[in-house]
Amino acid sequence: MILVSIILLLLAILGAPLFAVIATSAMFGFHRDDTDLMNMALEIQSIADLPFLAAIPLFTFAGYVLSESDAPKRLVRLTGAMLGWLPGGLALVALAACAFFTAFTGASGVTIIALGAILYPALKHDGYPDKFNLGLVTSSGSLGLLFAPSLPLILYGVIAEVSIDSLFLAGILPGMVMLAMLSVWSLWVNRDNRKPLSSFSWRATAAVLRESIWEIPLPFVVLGGIYSGFLAVSEAAAVTALYVLIVEVVIHREIRLSELPQIMRASMLLVGGILIILGVSLASTNYMISAGIPQMLLEYVASLVSSPVSFLILLLVFLLVLGAILDIFSAIVLVVPLILPIAAEYGVHEVHLGIVFLAAMQLGYMTPPVGLNLFIASYRFEKPIMHVYSATFPFLIILMLSVILITFWPALSLWLVASP
Amino acid sequence: MSSGLIAFLSRLDRFGRLLENVALVAMLGGMIALAVGQIVLREVFDTGIIWVDELLKLMVLWLAMVGSIAACRDDRHIRIDVLSHLLPDWLVDITRIVVDIFAAVVCAVIAVQAWRYLQIEIEFEDTVLVDTPAWIAHVILPVAFALISYRFVILAIKKIASLFTGVGKVATP
Repeated sequence: MILVSIILLLLAILGAPLFAVIATSAMFGFHRDDTDLMNMALEIQSIADLPFLAAIPLFTFAGYVLSESDAPKRLVRLTGAMLGWLPGGLALVALAACAFFTAFTGASGVTIIALGAILYPALKHDGYPDKFNLGLVTSSGSLGLLFAPSLPLILYGVIAEVSIDSLFLAGILPGMVMLAMLSVWSLWVNRDNRKPLSSFSWRATAAVLRESIWEIPLPFVVLGGIYSGFLAVSEAAAVTALYVLIVEVVIHREIRLSELPQIMRASMLLVGGILIILGVSLASTNYMISAGIPQMLLEYVASLVSSPVSFLILLLVFLLVLGAILDIFSAIVLVVPLILPIAAEYGVHEVHLGIVFLAAMQLGYMTPPVGLNLFIASYRFEKPIMHVYSATFPFLIILMLSVILITFWPALSLWLVASP
Repeated sequence: MSSGLIAFLSRLDRFGRLLENVALVAMLGGMIALAVGQIVLREVFDTGIIWVDELLKLMVLWLAMVGSIAACRDDRHIRIDVLSHLLPDWLVDITRIVVDIFAAVVCAVIAVQAWRYLQIEIEFEDTVLVDTPAWIAHVILPVAFALISYRFVILAIKKIASLFTGVGKVATP
C-alpha cells in the first residue's frame, strides 16, 4: 500500500492529471476492501446528488461572459470615479476592482487577464514603479476569493455541508481586512507619489454610473436574492447567468451570439476539470472514511497538539504547504472532508474553518512552485518568472499577516453569521 | 502517417469539437432556462414541475462529463504543474507521455466499471425523473470515460510524434 502511495505521489508530481491519481487511489482502496470496483461509477454519478452544485457551472459561465465583454473597463472607470480622488487612488482602484471581479469570476486567473491588462499600463502611466505594479496586479488576481459568489466558497459549502449563505456572510469582513491591509501598504509604498488619479467630479461620476447602470444591480441580484430567501444559491446563479447574457449580448451588444459557444466551452473546460476531481474524490473520501483514516489523523494530531490555538497553528502551516502544491479546488474536495471532523474536535467552527481554509489557499496562488497567478502574470506581461516572484513577495507577506489575523480571530468570520 | 489518415483524423477532431460545443451550449442553455422557468412558476403561479430539480442535478453531471471530455481535448485537465517550469522540454514531453498513458489506462478501467454498473441498472430497472430508466441518465459515464481515455492516448501519440519529428506540437488554444 505504501508503495502504491509513493508511485501515485510520484505520478502526481510528474504531472499526471489529478483526477486520474485520485481515482487510482480510490480504486486501490476498494480493491483492498474487496469492494466491487463498480462502486466507482456509483460514487462519480453521485455528483448528481449534491445540492446547489448547479451554481458552479452557472456562476463560472456568467463570469466568463463578463470578462469577455467591456464590463472590466467599465468596472475600472466606475471604481476610478469613486476612489480615484484619494491620494494613491489608482492603486486602491486596482485592488477594489480586482476583488470585485474575482468574486464574480471565481478565482480562475481570469482577473489578471481581463483587468490586469487594463490596470498594469494605467499604473505605469501614473508613475507607479514597475515592480510594485506587477506585484499588485499578480496578487490582486485572487483577492476576491472570500467574497460572494466566488466558486471556492460555494464548493466548500457543498463539500462541508455548511450553509453557503452563512459562508457568503462570513467572508465579507475577512475579505475586507485583506483589502484594507493591502491598501494601507500600497499607500505607504507610494507615499512619494500621492497624486490623486483625478479630482472628484459629480458629472464624471454620473457619467460612469450611467454607463454601468446595467451591471450595478448584479451584486444586489445575487446577494439580495439569496438573503431575502427569494432564491436558492443555484437559482441565484441561473438568474445571474441569464441577466449577464441579456446585458452583454442584447443590451450592450459587446458579445456576438456567434461567440457564445466558444465562451461556454472555455468556461465549461474549467468546470469539467473541477467536477471530475470532485467526482473521483467522493469515491476516495468514502473509502478513507470507511477505512477510519479521519480517526487515525485525529489521533495523530492529538499526539502533536492539545489546545485549539496550537491546532490552528498546525492547520495553518499545513494549509500553506498544501496551497503551494495543490490548486484550491482539488484541495477543497480532497482535504476538507478529512480535516472537518478534526477541527470540530478542537472546537473550530465549520464556517470559520472554511474562511481560514480559503484564505490560506489564496496564498497558494502566488507561492512558488505552482502558483497559478505567477505564471499567468509572467505569461501575460512577458516578465521572467523570477521577476514576478520577487515583485509579488511583499504582497505575499502582507496577505500572510492578514491570514494569520483571520485564523486567530474567529469573530471576524463569525460576527456577521447569525449563530444557529 | 499517410496524409489521408491525417486529414481524416483532423476532420474527426473538428467534428468531435463541434459535437462537444453543441452539447455544452444545449445543456448550459437548458439549465438556465429550466432554473429560471422554475423560479417564475413558483413565484408567479405558485406551482412548479416536480422533476425539474432532479433534472438540473443530472444536467450538472452531464456538464461535468462533457466538460471533462472537452478539457481533455484541449489538454486542460488540472495537474500539479511543477516540472514543466523546471525541466528541459524534451524531458517534460517524456514524462507527459508516461502520465498520459497512465491516465488513459485509469479512465479505461473506470469506463469498463461504469459499463458494468450500467448493466445492473438496466437489469434492476432503476428509474430517475419519475419513470425514466436510470441508465439513460447514467450512460454518459462509460461513454465519457471511454472518450477521455481515447483522448489521453491521442495526446500521448501526438507527444511521441513531436518528440521524433520535432513538429506537430499540440496547439493549446
